[in-house]
Amino acid sequence: MKITATQYAKSLYEVTREKSQNEIVVMTENFVKVLAKNRQTKLAVKIIKKFGELYNKENGIAEVEVISSRKLEADQIGQIEKFIQGKYKVSEVIINNKINESIKGGIILKIGDEILDASVERQLRELRNNLRK
Amino acid sequence: MSKDYIIEQLKKQIENFETKTQTEKVGTVLEVGDGVAKVSGLSDVMASEMLEFTPRTNADGTQNHAESIFGVALNLEEGQIGAMILGAFEGIKEGDQVKSTGKILSIPVGENMIGRVINPLGQAIDGKGEIVSDKFYPIEKIAPGVITRQSVNQPVQTGIKAIDAMIPVGRGQRELIIGDRQTGKTAIAIDAIINQKGQDMICIYVAIGQKESKIARIVAELEKKGAMEYTTIVLAGASDPAAFSFVAPYSGCALGEYFMDKGKDVLVIYDDLSKHAWAYRQISLILKRPPGREAYPGDVFYLHSRLLERSAKLNKDFGGGSITALPIIETQAGDVSAYIPTNVISITDGQIYLESDLFYKGIRPALNVGLSVSRVGSAAQTKAMKKVAGKLRLDLAQFRELEAFAQFGSDLDENTRRQIERGRRTVEILKQDQYAPMLMENQVAILYALTNGFLDDVAVEKIRIWENDFQKYMNSSAKDVLTLIAEKKELTEDVVAKLEKAIKEFKEVYQNGN
Repeated sequence: MKITATQYAKSLYEVTREKSQNEIVVMTENFVKVLAKNRQTKLAVKIIKKFGELYNKENGIAEVEVISSRKLEADQIGQIEKFIQGKYKVSEVIINNKINESIKGGIILKIGDEILDASVERQLRELRNNLRK
Repeated sequence: MSKDYIIEQLKKQIENFETKTQTEKVGTVLEVGDGVAKVSGLSDVMASEMLEFTPRTNADGTQNHAESIFGVALNLEEGQIGAMILGAFEGIKEGDQVKSTGKILSIPVGENMIGRVINPLGQAIDGKGEIVSDKFYPIEKIAPGVITRQSVNQPVQTGIKAIDAMIPVGRGQRELIIGDRQTGKTAIAIDAIINQKGQDMICIYVAIGQKESKIARIVAELEKKGAMEYTTIVLAGASDPAAFSFVAPYSGCALGEYFMDKGKDVLVIYDDLSKHAWAYRQISLILKRPPGREAYPGDVFYLHSRLLERSAKLNKDFGGGSITALPIIETQAGDVSAYIPTNVISITDGQIYLESDLFYKGIRPALNVGLSVSRVGSAAQTKAMKKVAGKLRLDLAQFRELEAFAQFGSDLDENTRRQIERGRRTVEILKQDQYAPMLMENQVAILYALTNGFLDDVAVEKIRIWENDFQKYMNSSAKDVLTLIAEKKELTEDVVAKLEKAIKEFKEVYQNGN
């Protein structure tokens, strides 16, 4: 049967969970060998991505992409962190700030495949659509 | 309107304008081609949910497509979904954003669809302005169940003598029209629509992958006959994406269901389901679903059975509406045993079989009476028609048996010769021009005259002229007899007596005239 990238990532996560640093190194090496034996090394990129997602989920970490028109101040970042912690029930938030001037103002949050668009650009677009009616 | 007023209104609108921010599920296009997109993300999407391909602003400020294009999620796989795109897919690029809408694909429905030409998404394409409606029906719906149904008990008058007499169609029936190209399949369907005038029927003509010129011609003809007043045309043209052809019959059916739920009788024509199967085959192959017989995917049978099962006659408790379906299948070189024709034959309640040989012999409609059947329609036939049709079928069957001997003209005994002569006249009477449907009472009158030997002394080549004059006479001088048949729907003794008297009178006048 075909083993999918998600299944590989899950098994790797389970064998390395709560193990010491040395054990993890050995396990990871073994994992790569198994992968090579199964001739599935081309899945490596996908497995790494899936493993990251899984690790974040299990440990209560949320990676957030924040798009804003200007660089965010430290207290703004703190507020966003708190908001995410409350909304997704996670303990740790990794914020990745990107600057895009075309959104004019406000912020856009991207968490996984969810998007929270609170940009001025979207509000203007909605206003335009509303006035057209 | 003063300028200040406009500004005041605008101000109000802007003041009251609220934006709600909510999280949305989004995905990105991984690959796109041939009307099908692979999308990653969108983990919570439902099967056959509508997706929105939002426009993307390019570096130079232009957008790759002006408005959002909709799609439908068909394949849900691990990590990605396969979606067909309902619209111009040229603008969509890899990396575009896709939003889920949380809605199953539905079309707007309403009375204002009647008399219009719409695309499978319910948008007007006849240039007569936008169709506004607040009611939506999902295009895929489970067919009405057993307790809501009733057996057919009311006829659909197609206005074609051969069909109404020998292959009667009831309201709520599914009757397949099958035949090669150029055998008059669409002509029968259009005649049936034209004949629904004043019969309290709503007609929906679904054109699947048809030439737009053909549809323009049909619309013009229906308008000329006043049939557009109760007809909607759902058009997926030959140049529209395959997704449109795939969706079209379901949209037409959803619109029909709206009227059926209101207790109305609906006639839906699917022209044609072989092109529908082709469109579905194309989409399935691009989605990499495994091909089966004739490269169709494994669920082509379900594709048509779930569509045709939605035709029904509802009982009184559920409004008493009905959907009658006339699906059309085009065969290749008369091969009815191909995959799609056999499938649809087994789903429907009978078929009208058209043959190109008969068509070229000049027998039009080119109906093969032997192979055509109606499995449930006879229950809905009017008593008057039943009476004349029984004899008619017998005459034709005997004629077919003896036809081979016809060339030995003089050597035959009296009885055989008479049967052959009667058969020839029957074939002649069953010929009918296009766009000339006939009322039930007129059909009964001429068929009564035929089966009771009143035409035996008319020369075969003169039969059609005779019939023409006969109908003119009936419509003018013997109008009361026709109304009597139409009202009673039965050939009681006094009706028969009056009818026979009228026929004899006409024959006398006719012979004196010639």
